Amino acid sequence: MNRRLAQLHVVGGGLGLAAAVALTLEKIAVLRDPAHVPSCSIDPVLSCGSVMDSPQAAAFGFPNPLIGIAAFAVVVTTGVAVLAGFEPPRWYRVGLDAGTLFGVLFVHRLIAASLYDVHALCPYCLVVWVVTIPIFWYTTLDTWPALAPLRRVHSAVLALWYAVIAVMVLVEFWDHWRTLL
Amino acid sequence: MPRTSRTNNRTVVAARSGPSLNTVLTALVALVAVVVIGGALLVGRSGDEGTASTEALFPAGAHTLSTAEDGRVTLVEFLDFQCPACASYYTGVTERLEQDYRGRITFVTRNFPLEAHPLAVPAARAAEAAAKQGAYAEMYHALYEGFDQWAVDGRSTSSDVGRATATFEEFAVAAGLDLERFRADAASEEVRATIERDVADGTAAGVTSTPTFFLNGEEFRPSGGTIADADRELRAAIDEALAG
Repeated sequence: MNRRLAQLHVVGGGLGLAAAVALTLEKIAVLRDPAHVPSCSIDPVLSCGSVMDSPQAAAFGFPNPLIGIAAFAVVVTTGVAVLAGFEPPRWYRVGLDAGTLFGVLFVHRLIAASLYDVHALCPYCLVVWVVTIPIFWYTTLDTWPALAPLRRVHSAVLALWYAVIAVMVLVEFWDHWRTLL
Repeated sequence: MPRTSRTNNRTVVAARSGPSLNTVLTALVALVAVVVIGGALLVGRSGDEGTASTEALFPAGAHTLSTAEDGRVTLVEFLDFQCPACASYYTGVTERLEQDYRGRITFVTRNFPLEAHPLAVPAARAAEAAAKQGAYAEMYHALYEGFDQWAVDGRSTSSDVGRATATFEEFAVAAGLDLERFRADAASEEVRATIERDVADGTAAGVTSTPTFFLNGEEFRPSGGTIADADRELRAAIDEALAG
């Protein structure tokens, strides 16, 4: 596993971990005081309150950020271990990639829910979206030699991926962005 | 065969030095994304201060909160009952404006429910149904004054249709309306068509967000950032139109 990927794991995983911790703390604050307005509820569209209260926010019966805290911690730890000289065996890398695949699928399920069911964006969730995609993409490219041709256009694929989501967000919240201008 | 493969290797190496295919494609995607998104937002904004004919803005049957005998100054507001900005304008601008200029200006309100607000259409239907029993103004005031009771959950947009409908019916009863008739009217094709006509007129006049005001057919856009600025500017514009 190369050092660049390990650095991505540390930085991206760290940001995802911070966002998951922040969301969990907000969730606890809301549970303690239902009138609590989360720090990330800025207006009706940028609002983690409505996102956290939606059924999709506990897809497996418990708050999603708990998954994030566990999973991003593994990503960060892996990155740190690799930077420290750990050379993960094949089964470890495949396992890690399977984990990031689950993460990226889950994130896209949540993007769809956020855009088309809840009609709100939660800033901490956006951080998770933004880091999960490259973590999945680069881990996958690194794990499977058969994907070598795609490595030549690695960041173009990532940019296109981000661009498609950005356009979906723009279209869905068109009225909102317009009123801000 | 070995030769070909060596050439291939060299090509790969060559492609990696200098601006690689990846860099070029990434820059291209980023550029297209910036142009498309930025362009869309710019075009959206430069939908600019529209003007529209009085007939389109104030068709027969549109609701007025105040009517001027002389008909010289007409203020038209396209509003969404669930839009927080509209509610802020109600408390900060139009509620007092309506009283202060009663009889001197014609103040028309038109429906422009936005898709982002799941209860905006039910609220517009409630207002139109109340209008059928001559109580548009009562329902309009009740919807904004009771905004917190139906439009929001805490600070986020509510999508609780059941709670909203029950609240609208309370407002209808408080206004002394025939509840059965109110329910039937709110669900009627006629009311749906009225709201659609309002949205179509608004769209034709260049309305994209709410609230949007037209003063004597010309779009009024406050330049200041706050509601208080908007209040001051709108009053100044109305005073000028009244004097002119």
